[in-house]
Amino acid sequence: MLGNLGTNLKDALKKLAGKTVIDRVAVEELVKDLQRALLQADVNVKQVMQLSQTIKKRSLEEEPPKGVTAREHVLKIVYEELVHLVGGKVDVQLGRQTILMAGLQGSGKTTTTAKIARYFKKKGLRVGVICADTFRPGAYTQIKTLCDRVQVNCFGNPKETDARKIVAEGLQHLKDEVIIVDTQGRHALEDELIQEIIDLNEMTHATHRWLVLDAALGQQAREQARRFHEAVQIDGVIITKMDGTAKGGGALSAVSETGAGIVFIGAGETVEDLEWFDPDSFISRLLGMGDLKALAEKVQESIKEEDIDVNAMLSGKFTLRDMYKQLEAVNKMGPLKQVLSMLPLGGMEVPEGAIDVTSTKMERYRIIMDSMTSKELDDPTVLNGSRVQRIAMGAGATLEEVRELIKYYKMMKRTFKNLKGGEKGMQRLMKKFGRFS
Amino acid sequence: MFKALKEKLFSVRQRLETTISEQPAEEPVAAPAVQELPDSPAVEQAPQPAAQADEGAKEKKAPGFAQKVVSLVRDREFIISDKDIEDSLSDLEIGLLESDVAFSATDAILSKVREDLTGSKRKIGTSVDSVITNALSEALLSVLGEGVNILDFIASHEKPVKILFTGVNGTGKTTSVAKVANYLTKNGLTVAIGAGDTFRAGAIEQIDVHGERLGIKVIQHQEGSDPSAVLFDTVQYAKAHNVDVVLGDTAGRFHNRVNLMNQLSKIRRVIQPDMIVYVDEAVAGNDAVIRAEEFSKSVGMDAVMLTKVDMDPKGGAAISIVQAVGKPLIFIGVGQGYDDIMPFEPKAIVADLLAGEA
Repeated sequence: MLGNLGTNLKDALKKLAGKTVIDRVAVEELVKDLQRALLQADVNVKQVMQLSQTIKKRSLEEEPPKGVTAREHVLKIVYEELVHLVGGKVDVQLGRQTILMAGLQGSGKTTTTAKIARYFKKKGLRVGVICADTFRPGAYTQIKTLCDRVQVNCFGNPKETDARKIVAEGLQHLKDEVIIVDTQGRHALEDELIQEIIDLNEMTHATHRWLVLDAALGQQAREQARRFHEAVQIDGVIITKMDGTAKGGGALSAVSETGAGIVFIGAGETVEDLEWFDPDSFISRLLGMGDLKALAEKVQESIKEEDIDVNAMLSGKFTLRDMYKQLEAVNKMGPLKQVLSMLPLGGMEVPEGAIDVTSTKMERYRIIMDSMTSKELDDPTVLNGSRVQRIAMGAGATLEEVRELIKYYKMMKRTFKNLKGGEKGMQRLMKKFGRFS
Repeated sequence: MFKALKEKLFSVRQRLETTISEQPAEEPVAAPAVQELPDSPAVEQAPQPAAQADEGAKEKKAPGFAQKVVSLVRDREFIISDKDIEDSLSDLEIGLLESDVAFSATDAILSKVREDLTGSKRKIGTSVDSVITNALSEALLSVLGEGVNILDFIASHEKPVKILFTGVNGTGKTTSVAKVANYLTKNGLTVAIGAGDTFRAGAIEQIDVHGERLGIKVIQHQEGSDPSAVLFDTVQYAKAHNVDVVLGDTAGRFHNRVNLMNQLSKIRRVIQPDMIVYVDEAVAGNDAVIRAEEFSKSVGMDAVMLTKVDMDPKGGAAISIVQAVGKPLIFIGVGQGYDDIMPFEPKAIVADLLAGEA
């Protein structure tokens, strides 16, 4: 179903292809598909209606610059409006600061707190966490376990029921540069708890108040964000659970309600799974289609034959060097899953594991491959125990990571080999690979 | 729950009533092709807007000119057409979407209402209200299903009745297990809980504290141990101590993590639950449907529990999930306390939704 969605949008865009004059019918169709995509992604209904009006108006009224096709013109408008909606990147200052975490029950505050603690710790700062969740049983054990795992200080008292008292004591007790206060989950309609977070905000003189939102949050996001913002002036949003299938559209309402940008993205259950917010890949995910920016900026031209040798890949001569290029290309085009989804694979099954790779991991793979010799890249069969060890040392990686990479490579190789088997697909695949549309 | 939806339904109903009731009074030329017999008190229109073009096309229209005359003159009925209700339906659509009813569920409800209303003949003089109310109520009930009574379910199964809780991260499984345990205890049943979330730090402590407060035995292993083993032990304990119900907590997991879903399948094989309850939250948007479908496909589910309804009283997710998986909603969670749980009865809810003014 979601696959179809991306396709519909692409079809609509295709109709605009080659046209020099903007066709009202085509624009309206495009806007309708766009609406569907955004509504499916949980973007606020009113926001969607507003956005589509603007896009329609601009597409029909603005004169495309010379040399730009109608399709590119409309794409550019769509992209610009979406970027406007999503907001820009937020810079995180390194230095003395206090961060107050706020959010609904079960949005992932505690896990995110540990992730952020790890982030600052890795940047060389001393970090302390205060557990102000006095309600949920096991909350202190949870944050304490996670803090121990990333080796940062943790202050809390599971016996104490007054969050204000714990925070006051914690502030005295912890002398670290970065203090993160993890709070109990609460929602907009719980007045007492809203008052509590207002008090905590005043007590801590928090430098930042970050709102943690579940990517699956629906239309309710707007109201919740509004209330939190009223209470403590949210200045950053963190979207969690982006490793699921939720698109995170609800979080956009939070952005527009608070005027704050998205700081981090949580995409996994372990403390390492924290990513910077990247507007482009976020938008591409919202729409369930490839990187719109890449399309808008005609990046397809930069992905030339020498970038990815489709023929070699399909003939089964897929080497590590090809994979390296592929990973680089993926950086330009967005997640592999979407790249694959853009290809006419004719419903072919791609193994889960092949696309189940986070962008952080991709980056690690590239670093490991940088430590390989040309010979190894061209002929991975030469890789043996001692070579793996050398590579691992060179890349500052563990042996497991290198082996994992090799495993991933083998899987990709098999995938492409199977692709070839998918007869007709290959021809079309080669064609399409050149121009992602 | 469903307050906003109720308001919306009410306004849509009123609007439908007005459009449909006004139909007979319409001026002959006011809407071309809408109107056929100037002298007749009732008027009907063709479903295809294409027919709008020329007067001569009358006879070609779907219900047939002759048939319309028969309808009007002999039976004193008029037929409700697509166009009459289009505006109201798109109103309803927005209302449903804003209540977090997912796209697919919204589509299903709309097409059911459309199907029920259009072409349906209405005797002149009968209440428009009843026609519309029936159509809406049927559409909602067809989506929400029959519902299930957990106490009857337990009574009709061999003890210990094993109930497994599943769902994605952070929807409130552990809290729900505690609430259901409390609910069952209050209804005179004995309960044992298996601390099957061995992954999340602090999860075992969390359920343990709940058990202690409620006076319910919690079987637990260490963090990181095999959840199947924990739950197996819980079932063994229940058998040995003649406990009525076993509630199995599990770690939250995303439906796109193959190995974690396999782990759930293993649990299922090992303890063979009588009922798998899928837990999701009221605030979830469209993803609720996708993940419910995936869970349903890979590990199965027999019932749905919707949590955090106090957070989002619109409750559209209930409709979406139930529509997607075709399984009944058994409980809704409405707060942080142990008693903040309500059995869900579709008929009562729908009746309430459509009852009088919002």
